[in-house]
This record gives sequence, C-alpha cells and structure tokens, in this order.
Amino acid sequence: MNPKEEKVKIITEEFVENYDDSEVRRPKTSKAQKHKRKKQVQKASPEDMVSEKSPSDSLQEPSQDDPNGSLLNVTARRSQRSLPPTPSASRTGFAEFSMRERLREKLQAARSKAESALLQEIPTPRPRHLRSPREKESETELGTEPRAEVERTQQEDDSQSNSRVKVRRSARKIKSKTQVPPGYPSAEEAYNFFTFTFDPEPEDLEKKPKSKPRERRNQMEEEEEEEEEEEEGQHPMQTRANKAVTVDEEDVLGRPEEDFLLDLGPTEEDFVAVRPAEYQSVHTRLQVEDKLLFAPSKHSVPMYKKLPENVQPRFLEDEGLYIGARPEVPRTSQNIMENRLLVQEPVQKWFGDDGRILALPNPIKPFPSRPPVPAQSQDVKRELETLYKKAVKYIHSTTQHMIGSGDSPVNFQLDVDISGLIFTHHPCFSREHVLAAKLAQLYDQYLARRQRNKAKFLTDKLQALRNALQMGLNPANPHKSPNLTPKAISEYKSEIWQTRKLRDAEQEKDRTLLKTLIKVWKEMKSLREFQRFTNTPLKLVLRKEKVDQKADEEAQEAEIQAELSELLEEHLMEYEEQLEVYKAAQQRWKAWRKARRAKKKKKKKKKPAEEEQPQEEEEEEEEEEEQGEEEPVKPVPPQPTNRAALEQQVRERAAQGRRRPGEPVLVPELSLAGSVTPTDQCPRVEVLRREDVKRRSVHVKVLFNHKEVSRTDSRPLGTDFRVHFGQIFNLQIFNWPESLTLQVYETVGHSGTSLLAEVFLPIPETTAVTGRAVLEEVEFSSNQHVTLDHEGVGSGVPFSFEADGSNQLILMTSGKVANSVSWAVGENGIPLIPPLSQQNIGLRSALKRADAISSIGTSGLTDMKKLAKWAAESKLDPNDPNNGPLMQLISVATSGESYVPDFFRLEQLQQEFNFVSDEELNRSKRFRLLRLRSQEVPEFRNYKQVPLYDREILEKVFQDYEKRLRERNVIEAKDHIDTHRATVAKYLQQVRESVINRFLIARHHFLPADLIAEEEVPNISILGLSLFKLAEQKRPLRPRRKGRKKVTAQNLSDGDIKLLVNIIRAYDIPMRKPVASKFQQQSRPSRTFIEKHPASPATQSPAHSTDYPLDQVRVRPFVEVSFQRTVCHTTTAEGPNPSWNEELELPFRAPSGDYSTTSLQSVRDDVFINIFDEVLSDVLEDERDRGSGLHTRIERHWLGCVKIPFSTIYFQARIDGTFKIDIPPVLLGYSKERGFDSVRSLSEGSYLTLFITMEPQLVPGEPVREKFDSQEDEKLLHATEKFQAECSLKFPHRQCLTTAINISGKTVFITRYLKPLNPPQEFLDAYPNNPQATAELVAHYVSLIPFLPDSVSFAGICDLWSTSDQFLDLLAGDEEEHAVLLCNYFLFLGKKAWLVMGSAIPEGPTAYVLTREQSHYLIWNPCSGHVYRQFDTFCPLKSVGCLIGPDNVWFNIQRYDSPLRINFDVTKPKLWKSFFSRSLPYPGLSSIQPEELRYQHTDKAAASELQDRIEKILKEKIMDWRPRNLTRWNRYCTSTLRHFLPQLERSQGGDVDEDHQAELLRQLGDYRFSGFPLHMPYSEIKPLVEAVHSTGVHSIDIPNVEFALAVYVHPYPRNVLSVWIYVASLIRNR
Amino acid sequence: MAEVHVIGQIRGATGFSESSLFCKWGVHTGAAWKLLSGVREGQTQVDTPQIGDMAYWSHPIDLHFATKGLQGWPRLHLQVWSQDSFGRCQLAGYGFCHVPSSPGTHQLDCPTWRPLGSWREQLARAFVGGGPQLLHGDTVYSGADRYRLHTVAGGTVHLELGLLLRHFDRYGVEC
Repeated sequence: MNPKEEKVKIITEEFVENYDDSEVRRPKTSKAQKHKRKKQVQKASPEDMVSEKSPSDSLQEPSQDDPNGSLLNVTARRSQRSLPPTPSASRTGFAEFSMRERLREKLQAARSKAESALLQEIPTPRPRHLRSPREKESETELGTEPRAEVERTQQEDDSQSNSRVKVRRSARKIKSKTQVPPGYPSAEEAYNFFTFTFDPEPEDLEKKPKSKPRERRNQMEEEEEEEEEEEEGQHPMQTRANKAVTVDEEDVLGRPEEDFLLDLGPTEEDFVAVRPAEYQSVHTRLQVEDKLLFAPSKHSVPMYKKLPENVQPRFLEDEGLYIGARPEVPRTSQNIMENRLLVQEPVQKWFGDDGRILALPNPIKPFPSRPPVPAQSQDVKRELETLYKKAVKYIHSTTQHMIGSGDSPVNFQLDVDISGLIFTHHPCFSREHVLAAKLAQLYDQYLARRQRNKAKFLTDKLQALRNALQMGLNPANPHKSPNLTPKAISEYKSEIWQTRKLRDAEQEKDRTLLKTLIKVWKEMKSLREFQRFTNTPLKLVLRKEKVDQKADEEAQEAEIQAELSELLEEHLMEYEEQLEVYKAAQQRWKAWRKARRAKKKKKKKKKPAEEEQPQEEEEEEEEEEEQGEEEPVKPVPPQPTNRAALEQQVRERAAQGRRRPGEPVLVPELSLAGSVTPTDQCPRVEVLRREDVKRRSVHVKVLFNHKEVSRTDSRPLGTDFRVHFGQIFNLQIFNWPESLTLQVYETVGHSGTSLLAEVFLPIPETTAVTGRAVLEEVEFSSNQHVTLDHEGVGSGVPFSFEADGSNQLILMTSGKVANSVSWAVGENGIPLIPPLSQQNIGLRSALKRADAISSIGTSGLTDMKKLAKWAAESKLDPNDPNNGPLMQLISVATSGESYVPDFFRLEQLQQEFNFVSDEELNRSKRFRLLRLRSQEVPEFRNYKQVPLYDREILEKVFQDYEKRLRERNVIEAKDHIDTHRATVAKYLQQVRESVINRFLIARHHFLPADLIAEEEVPNISILGLSLFKLAEQKRPLRPRRKGRKKVTAQNLSDGDIKLLVNIIRAYDIPMRKPVASKFQQQSRPSRTFIEKHPASPATQSPAHSTDYPLDQVRVRPFVEVSFQRTVCHTTTAEGPNPSWNEELELPFRAPSGDYSTTSLQSVRDDVFINIFDEVLSDVLEDERDRGSGLHTRIERHWLGCVKIPFSTIYFQARIDGTFKIDIPPVLLGYSKERGFDSVRSLSEGSYLTLFITMEPQLVPGEPVREKFDSQEDEKLLHATEKFQAECSLKFPHRQCLTTAINISGKTVFITRYLKPLNPPQEFLDAYPNNPQATAELVAHYVSLIPFLPDSVSFAGICDLWSTSDQFLDLLAGDEEEHAVLLCNYFLFLGKKAWLVMGSAIPEGPTAYVLTREQSHYLIWNPCSGHVYRQFDTFCPLKSVGCLIGPDNVWFNIQRYDSPLRINFDVTKPKLWKSFFSRSLPYPGLSSIQPEELRYQHTDKAAASELQDRIEKILKEKIMDWRPRNLTRWNRYCTSTLRHFLPQLERSQGGDVDEDHQAELLRQLGDYRFSGFPLHMPYSEIKPLVEAVHSTGVHSIDIPNVEFALAVYVHPYPRNVLSVWIYVASLIRNR
Repeated sequence: MAEVHVIGQIRGATGFSESSLFCKWGVHTGAAWKLLSGVREGQTQVDTPQIGDMAYWSHPIDLHFATKGLQGWPRLHLQVWSQDSFGRCQLAGYGFCHVPSSPGTHQLDCPTWRPLGSWREQLARAFVGGGPQLLHGDTVYSGADRYRLHTVAGGTVHLELGLLLRHFDRYGVEC
C-alpha cells in the first residue's frame, strides 16, 4: 500500500503544481495552443476519419472481454507506434523489463484504488465540475510538449488523452474528490467556453466545417464514454482496474519518451488530464449552424420578390407566343434555387417575365449561348450513318447485268387517295341547291373564322398593348422600364391604333357573315315554302347564348371609354401638332405682314408728297409685287377636339360592328336533319330533275405526267351532289413526277362521258408520307354551258331567284375534290421517294449520283423577296424554333446588309477559274470523237486512231452520225414505200437500238469463264483415251472431221476470218430444152412447192420428147458463191447431177471492223449460193472464119439459189448437208430431166450438197444469262425448270422449250401462245369444200410475212416471242412467230396441230408445225409455206425435240429424233414425256393471244403504186449495174410477163398456165429467151434488189441483149404483200 | 480543254488483318471534268496471298479526262473487302486519295479505315462476320464532318499511277 499511495500522492501533487503552472502560463499559451490545435486538427483529420472509432474500441472492447489480451494488444500497439525513432535498443529493453515489473505492482495498486474510488464515487457524481480544469490541463499538456505532439498521430493522441483522462480522473477520484478548486469555472462557464471560444473565429470555422464538428464529436464521444462509465462505474470493478492498468502502462511508456524529449522529468501525471467528452446538444448545434450556415428555404417564393416592383407576371404562352418545353426540375429544387438567388444575388436577371427561373435559351438570340449537346445516335448526321451488313456470299447474279444501270431499280410509290367529290355547283342543282351550297359555303367560312377567332386574338392583343403602354407610362416606377422611350411609346400607340382598326374590321366581318348566313337561310326557307317541296336536308339552327347584360354593358362601356380616351389622346396630339404648325405658320404670317407693313411705311415715308396717281400706281405695283411673291395665307387655327362628337362616332361604330350589349350571342349550327320531300310529292319538273341526277355518274381519272394511269370506279351522283370514292391509287414510279392531274368525268346515262374539269394536284413535299398526309380539298370548276329542260338551273346559264327575273346569277359547274397525295413508306420505313431528293444507297449509285445538282434538285423555292413578304404578313412567332431558320433568313433578307444572291451555285468560283467555256469544250472534235468511241456509238465503235489535233479531224466524220440522229424520228417513206411499213421499221429499229444498248452494257460484265481459259486437269479417263488413241489407225478409212480450237473473237482483224464453202455435188439440175422444141408443148415445169397434193403423189411429167439424143449434154452447171459482194465460183461440171467437190474460200469482214461477239451476231449478210448453167453460144457471124479461131460466147443462165444467212453459220459453226435449191417456178428454156430415177421422181426439186464452215472457228455468243421476271405462278416456273433439267439430262441435244420471253421481256409459259385464231375470211371462203387447199392458202399467207431473225434484231442474245397480233402488226418475225401463227390458224380450221421444236437444215434450231390428218402427219415449214409428209426424205426438219400443244408440252424421249423414225402419238407416255400430267394437272392457263384477229384489206391502189415503183427502181438498178453497156427494155415482153405473173400468184407458183407459157414462147419466137420469176414476201426494197442482183441477169453483155422486167404485187389482208418479179433476158435469134 | 491521262494500277494492299482481299474503286471528279474514255469504277479480283502478307491485284486503271478547270481534280476512292472462307464478303476498309497533279509516275499509299460500330456490332463482326458500312458511300470523299464516326484503321492500299497532262500550260498552269 505504501509505495502506491506515495505514488498517487506524488501524482496529485504534481498535478496540482502543474495546474498552478498552467494557470500562470495560461494567458501566454492559450493563443499559441490554439494554433497548435488547429494545426493538429488539420494534420490529423485524414487519419482521424479512419481511426475514429479505434480509441474507443481499444478502450472498451478489451476491457469487457479479456484484460490481459487487451493489455498486450495495446502494449504491442503502443510499443510499435508511439516509440520515438531515436531511442536505442537497450532503452526499449529496459522499458520492457520495467514494464512487467510495474505491471504486477500496478495491478494490485489499481485494484485497491478502484475499490476506494468506487466507494467514494457513488454518492457524488459530479462530472461537470471537473471538466474544465481537465480541459485546461490537457491544453497545457499539449502546449508544453508540442514537438512530441506533432510527432504523434491523432489517434494516439486521442487514445492517449482518453486513457490519460481516465487515469487522471481515477486519480482525482482518489484524492481530490470533494475539493472544488477555487477559481475553477462553473459548469455554465465551461459550457460557455465551448461556444465562446469558437465564436470569435467564424472564418476559421467556416474554413474547416468538417474537421471541427469531428473534433467536437470526438469530444462528445469522450463525454459520452465518460458518462457511461460514470453511470455504470460501480458495477464492473474490473473495468476500472483495467483502466488503471492501462494508464499505468501508458505512463510507463509515455515517461521515458517525455523524459527523453523534454528533459523535464515530470511524471506522467503531469500530462494526463481527465476531461469529459465534449458534448453539444443537437439543438444548440443547430442554433449555431443557423448563425453560420445559410440554408435556403424550400418554400416557394412569393411572386413579388422575384419580379421588379409593381410588375405583374406576364405569361407569354397565354399570349400565344411559343414557349419551349421547360426541363423537368422538382419543385422543391426550384424553390431552393429561387431562394438562394434572391438572397445571394438580388439581381432580377435570373427571373423571366413569368416570375420563374429562366430555364430555356432565348430563341431570338442569333447564336446559341449553350454549346450543342452531343446527343445520342439519332442525331448522327445522315451521311455518317452506318449500317451493319451481314457478310453475304457474292452471287453472280445475272439479273443485275440485265438492267444495265448498276443499281437495282427501286420502285418509288406515290399514293393518291381520292376520297370524294363535292359539287359546289352542278347543272342539275335546283334553286334550293344553289342556296344550300351558298349556305354551306358561308357556314364553312363561319366555322373557319370561328376557329381562327381573329377578333378575339386581336382584342387580347389590344389589351396586352394597352397594358404595356399603361405600364410604360406609369410614373410610379419609371426606373423599372427605362427602355420605354417616347419613341417606343409612340410605336405602341400606333400599334394600338392599327390593332384596333383591324379588330373592328374583323368584328364587323364576323357580324356581316352572320347576317348573310341568316339572310341566305331565310331565303332558302321562303323558297321551300314557295315551291312546296324540300330538296336538301340542310337546316340552320341559331343557338342563343345568354349573356349577363350588366357585365356585358359594363365591358362594352369600358371598351368604349378606353377607345374614346385613346382617340381623344390621339386627337389631342394631332391637335397639338396642328397647333404647332399653326403657330409656326402664324408666326411666319405675322412676320410677313410686319415686313409688308414696314415696307409700306417706308414707301409712304419716301414719297409722302407725291401725287395721288403715282401713288396709286405704286400701290398697284406693290400689289402686283405682293401678288408676285407668294403671300402666306393666314393660317386657320385648328379646331379643338370635340369629345362629344368623338364619343358619338365611337358609339356608332360599336353599334354597327359589335353585338349590342345584352343581346344574346348567336351561334349558327348547320345540320342535315331536315327531311327531303319524297319524289312522288314533287312537281313534274322536279321529278325530272331528280331522275336526271340519278342517271348521272361521275368518275375521276388520275393522270400522271399527262398519262392516264388509273381511274376510279364510276359512282352515281347522289341527291346531295356528293360522291364518295374512297379509293387509293398506288402509283409505282421511277422518276420524280412532273405533273399529277385529276380529271373529273361525268357520264349521263349511257350516252357518253364528258370531261367536266381538270384538277392539278401539287406534287407532295418529300415530308408528306403516307399516314401523315392530310386530306385536302382542291377546288375545280368547268366552263361548260349546260341548259336543262327541268328544274335544274344549268351551268353557265343565267337564272334568277326573283319572280321577275331580275338579279340574275350565272353559276359555273364547280366543286371540290377531297384528296391526298403522299409518298408511300417502304417496308423498312424508308419513304419511297425518287432520288431527286433522296440519295441512293450503295457505291455504284453513289458514284452515279456524285453529280450534285441531281441530288439537290431544282424544286427549291428561291424567291427570297416573296418569302420575306409572306413571312412578314403571316406574323410568324419568332420564338418558335420551327421558324428559326426562316426568321434568320428573313432577318438577312430584310436587313439588306448581306447580299443574298438570287441564284444558287454549287461550286463557287468555278466559273472564274475555268479555262474554257462549256461550249468550247463541247466543240472540240477530238473530244467528241473520243467520247463517241468510248460510248460505242455504232459509227465510231471501232474507230482506231483519233488524231491528236482538232484540225486534223475532218468535219465529215460526224456527218453520218448526225444524219442518223436527225432522222431518228423522221419517218421517211422513200425506202419503205408504204408508211405502215415505214413506221413498223422505225419501231423495230428503236426496239433494236434499245436492246442493243442494253446488251452493250451487259457485255462489259464478264463471267470467270469469259476471262479464264482453264485447261482441264488430266484425269485418268483422259489418260486412258489418249493411250487408246495410240493404238488407233493413222489413216482411218473413214476419216471424221476433228473439232478445231475455237477462237475468241477479240484479237481478230480484217482478213483473219474466212468462210469455207465446200460444194460437193448437186442432184436434179434442170436441163436446157433445145431451141427446136420451142413450139412444142412444153413439159410441165418443175415445181417449187413439192407435193402440192400429198394425197395424190404421182405428178407425172409428160412424156419426154425423144428429140434429143441421150448423150447430149444439156446442162453445164457451175456454182457461184457470193458473200459480202465477194464472188467465187467453181469449175463447170456437166450433166444434171454434177459433182464438183471444190472448196471455195471467201474472206469475211465484220461490219466496221468490230469482231466482237455482239457485232458478229448481228451480221445480216447472207451467203448466196447460185447455180448457173454455162451456155456456150456461137458468136461467129461468118461461117468462113470457123477454122481460124474459137468464136463462142459464154452465157450463164441462173438456175436457182440457196441462201444461207451468216448468222446460221456463225451459230451452227458448220453447215453440212443436202439442201434444196430454190428454183423459180418457171425457168424458161429449162425443164427437169425425169424418168431416170424412179425413186427421185417423187421429190420434185433439185438439191445441193454443201459443207460450210468458218476458219478459224469462232465462239458463238452465249445465250442470255439472265432470268426474266415473270407473271407466271412461282410453282409453275419451278416445274418448268425441273422439267427442262430432267429433259436436258436425258437428251442434252434435244430442244426443250417450256417458256418463252414475250416482247416486253417477261417469261411466259409457252402454251399460252397457242390458241385458235381466225385467218382472213377470204381464205376461208376461197375453197369452202377443200380444207387442204385452205390450209395451203393459209400457209402461203403466213410464209409471206417477212422473215426477220430475232438473233439479228436482238443481237442474238435472246429470243423474243411476239404474239400473233404483234407479229402481224410488226410484219416481221422469225420461225417461232410464223409457226405460232400458222399453228393458231390450223387450230382454228379444226385441225389437230402442234408446234414442233427441233432443228432443221439450214436454220438450225427452229419451229415447225405438225398437223394430223386422217391417217398421217404433215410437217409444215411456216417460213416457206412448204409442207412435207412425215416420211419425206428431203424434209428439212432433221430432229424433233418437243411438241407444244395449246394445253401441254411433250418432250421426245424416244431413241431417235428424226421425224422419219419417230412416232408422233403423244398419248403414249413411253414415247413422249408430258409436262402436265396427273401429278401436275393443267391449270387452265389463259392465252396471251387476242380474242380474234382483225384484218383490214390492203389498199389495192397502194399496191399497184408500189408495184410501179419497184419496177422503176429495179430497172434503174439493172441499168446501173451495166455501166458499160446499153440496156434495152423489151416492152412487149414485159407486158406479156406482167399478165403472166398474177396467174402465178393465183396458183402460188404451182400450176402455171401452160397455154400462156406456150403463147409466150410463141410470141417471142425469134428470141433466145432466159428468164424466171422470183417470188418474195415484201418487206423492203433492198432484199428485192439484192435478189435480182444475185441472179446475175444483168451480167449478160451480149450487145444486142434486151431485158424484160415485170413486177407484180399481190395484196393480202393486213398489208401482207406478195411480190413477184419476172426477169428475163432476150437475145434475138438471127 | 486540258487533258489528263491517268494510267496505272492498283498494285495491292498490305496490313489488313484479313486475307483474301479485293478492292472496289472509283474515281470522282468535279463538274468541270469530262471522262473521254475509260471506266471510272471497277473491282479487282480476290487475291489470297500465299507468300507474304501483301495482296496483289495489279488492277489496271486507264482514264482519259478532259477538263475546263482545275477544281474537282480527280480523286480515287477505294473500298477494300475481304472474302472469308465461306465466300462471304465483308468490308475491310474505306480509303481515299487524290490523283497526283504532277506528271510522271507516282507511288501512292492509301491508308484505309472502316467504321467501328457499337460493341454489339463489333462482337457480331468478330463471330459471324459482316460489319457496319457507310450508308452513303460518298462520305468517303465528300467533306462531311466525320467527327462522330468511330473508325478503326485498316491496312494500306498501294497504287501506282502515271499522269500525262496536256495543254495545261496553255492556260497558265505549270506542271
């Protein structure tokens, strides 16, 4: 006990001493200490936050659970952290050692102390009392050891101080419990101390609002702890002991340190002060805070605070001005903000006129004060938009190439909605209707006016203006409105004046409108009464709205007074002004008078003594003078305003224009509630009128770009003259529309349709999209004059309502069409607007549209002045951001500062920097030539070298081209003779050009196969074959032609290509008849139409004349091949069955040197293979010379010809076979040898065996690689593909056709082409009993339609099928069209007929017609009109691919395809694979052919005229071809021949009238005669000339030769012309 | 009246992460320019480099322009596309460069870029291919503000262009 007590004593003593010291030191240190403290706080604050709790933790927790543990914990922590860095290891060791010792001691001591303390403490809990000294103590302590404190962290400090506090407290509890130290501040003082000490330094507090409270809180915590401990102090003895221990330990630790640092040597008790936790109640704190902090109130601020004094809030929105949407801010936040603003910055600029915080940008400011907020993705500029595109496999689409323009043709759509039609006047209107229409119109007007309610608007405006003026003039607060200058006031006034005037006018208008409305209604009522029936259900009801009379009167009176006062003011001002003027004038006048008087006086003074007379004179003079100079009139003073008069005026006006006060407001309502008198109760005229109305119907046509695109249904006119259509037309368009017109048609009964009016609709803006478009009413009127004989008033006719006929009215038919036009919206929401305003997507299109003018468009409104005027008139709200750009524009336009050009230039300064003008650039011949060449214009397509300088280019280079351009649209009938053909030719030409242009573009698209020649990789089979070849014979007995390497036609030039014609042999060449036999009856001539009568095959030739010895050579034929005017011929062989076996080589020149595939495909040259007979005639005139020389002349006589088009050779690559020679029906002087061969006698005609090919072999053009769009069923198309694939798999070389392409480029199922069609009636009538003859006639007719291969006209790329009527219109077509027409005719004639698709010689793939007779089949060649039996050896049809009937397609699946060897029975499924079968039944496809064909007779006169012209031209040509010789024409012979030709036509070249021929021969007896008729269908002159030329008739150069030429044109219906040309040469026999 | 021949080739491209590249190209000129002959747009073959990482196209360009002014000097814009193993094509880069204005041969390197797209699109591009493309291809060569466009660098396209100028001196343009 002793040592302990001692120690405690020492502590207390020291404490007391210390205290005394501190007391002394206090004034000194207090300030410094405060600073320290602040510093500490500053320093500590961050850590403080972290370890706020730790002190209490370290104190309380351990105390509760485990004293030892906690002890160690604390110790450990202490030793770690609080040891100063300087002490040596020994010291620490010592410290540790002594620590343990003391620990034990103190534990005991503490227990005893605690016990005693506990005993003492319970009765006297006086915590407060002790606080302040402890506080001071701690302060002193801090003050004395600043260095140590600085080095410590706040945490340590806290915990230390805590522990110290406790220790001290416990110590004091032991020692000085009862003592109240004198001079200690009382509890109140202590309390005040807190507040007091802080108060004087508010700025400090403000600076550290965070740290202070924290400190305070620390203190509070301490206090609380303290209190807690004190309260529960009695129960845990342990706790206290622990504390004591802690303290001890603390001391132990603290001591050496302090000793070391300060060298003061006091015990730890000196530094330990026990103090209560500082506490401040919430209330007080709030009070304090209230003083220090400013918290704006959440309550809303009264309006008067926010606005300048005496200013009423003004709500712009109520005044009709545009106010944007305010951002959403909670009300309380706004209030807080307002309060804050009011206190902090009492400037009013934060508040708007409506007393709210300004939250929106000022729209009138030219530049936004806020930078644009980068918004979300929807704001991204259009051109920067990206689109996620899936990775797509690149498809070599063929369709893409077809159209040519790279971008897919987007259909744009314009939706025209025609909802209805209302007639505002119609001829059938009765008088009542007229009134009703007027009433309705007025009512509409009234409604419109009421909706606009301009009077109200103006009244309000007036009110607002008055208020504003009032405010401006209010002298109470002049400073608030400094901007209201006198000028502004006067402006206000004038504005008021104007507004008032406007208002009055509007009010008056309203009133008059109402009056008129009532008047019309009254008229109508009287009319109804008068005529005793009702026609219209219109009914006008006037609803009265009661008004408070008194209020009304007051309001009106106030209004009048206001007006009056204003007027008075105005007058007053005027008066003042006038007064001013008057005064000034008065002044002047007075001055003038004065001056005059002075003058007078002067004069009088000057000459006082002068006589009367001169004075008078002078006076006169003066007067004259006065008169001379202007004498100011004496001004009249202005009249002051008479108030009473003015009032009177105002009141009058009010009475006139306004509703009388108290008078009820009249609201008219128009309803259709009335009933119409039924027809049977009406007088006759009215009944008539109603019937007439019923007969009428109306429809509307929609015209797009002046073309009718659709029309509405015809709807009957209702009794109310309203027509409801409700139809929407979707116009699919490609380009920006030029015009859109509606035509209103009226149909009266069945009589006819008349155009009432045209309504022009505006093209909608690009923003007008379907769904957003508004229904608009467009008015129309017509100027037609209609007078009706019934009650209807008519149109354009005067009528009157009055009985006496006065007051006449003339009304025109008029009405309104309710419609809306808008752009459709596509599936993906993109409006389908043509690219004039919308840029297309995609690289290619972007490239194309790089030309900016097209993208901007020219539709923009550019008239700035009009726009400005309009804007000024329409009084746009400048606040509305919608009008922003417009306002800006107007401000620019009206300010006049900046120059607004009246044009728009895309590329500025372009003009200034140009080298040359456009014209000059276009004039350059070189550039033009280069461009044309690159555009592949036919004339320049293969122009090789373009000269470098313009001067080197001749002007004539362009002549042809320009001529062609000029003549493109001029139809000239020179070459074509009849205009129909000329038109058709033009049309064909145009179709051809467009097709060629399409393919020219398509040509530039290549497939890999076009570019890459890929050698096949050798595989085992090829290897095996080549091995097999080794074993082959070197020279086989029967050699075969080997395939040659094909050459792509790119690097070729003139002369590279040769045409090889191998002429092998001929059969049955006609033979010369001996001259001697000329008088004999000639044998029947050979026939061209073999097998005229298949049923009777034996056409015997008459018995041969036996005059000629058999060994005599009667024919020496040779073959001449001409191609492109190059002629080659073989040697002469002998006999009717010659064998030449010669190869002729002809060079080939492509047109204009273009050897591309397309160009080669369109070569239209033919290879003429002519067979001539070489005749040697003796020219020797004198028999005596015979011995000395050879005197013979070689003549050649044309026998026949084979014509093979080049395109056939090109596509077939080789032509190999025996062809029938086209021998004219009559060959004068020749006959066919017969009887040698009984087999051949069956076949009439001569044959030639040929082989034709090209060297090198050219690659024929690919067929079109494209799919055409189709209107066929998708399933059907799929089936066709499948069918074709199956067929080509089995028989790849057989032609299989299921679809064809019609002339508009659409795929059509092929059976749709076949349908019975009527041939011309005259053919049916010709042989009523002989169907066979009729069939032949029809075939002949079809064959007369000129042949024009598709491959030529359409560049060989696609085969277009035209329907029969198109074919007959065009009068040109290839095999398919001929075959289709012929087949249709046969079907009409009741035959079973099919189209045969196969290949023939020489055409290659072609179409024939198969008919089934009773027992056999006939094969018809539609182009020549020939008919063959199935088993005819010389039938040109060599293979049959498929048959096409009107309802099915059969594919040949037999082993052979030669018509000789196949069975045509299509019912056998083993032989013929049918397209429509049980699995796919025939769906009944409708035909695309017309219902029937109409034939018009060809003009006979025109035909004969044509005949003369042809004859003339041909004669001229023959003379031209014989430039060196004289050409004589034998007129007699010509006329004979001319008579002969019609017979030939009649017999179709068959049964020639033999008598006539004999007669001919007789007549031309002494002539050697050779000649033949040529028969051709007529298309143009040129082929005729060509044919005549190829016969070589002209080439006879015997001096005395004469010619005869006769032409006969036989007209058939539909301008089908059969041309016969008889050419003959005559040589007079001597 | 001056004439410009642009004769050269698109040699190839380097630096693309994708292989199997092809290039669509086009030439854009101002209103003063007229194309006398040649094609102003085209597409190369797909090149899959076996050795090295440069895709060679060696695609010829042969254009003949006539002009009446210097404005709108021809500019080349390119789109590099890549073909993946399924034969699907996706955009690999947009590029743009001016045709040189001095005569002679020029080696041009045209860096390319492509739109980045949102993270979803990037993800889709990485896994299923495709990618964002410009809706309006002319953004590549027009002077629109592109600051809102997020792009990724592509590789470089190498071009070799020869220029022949004619008659420019006649109008006071030295070259």
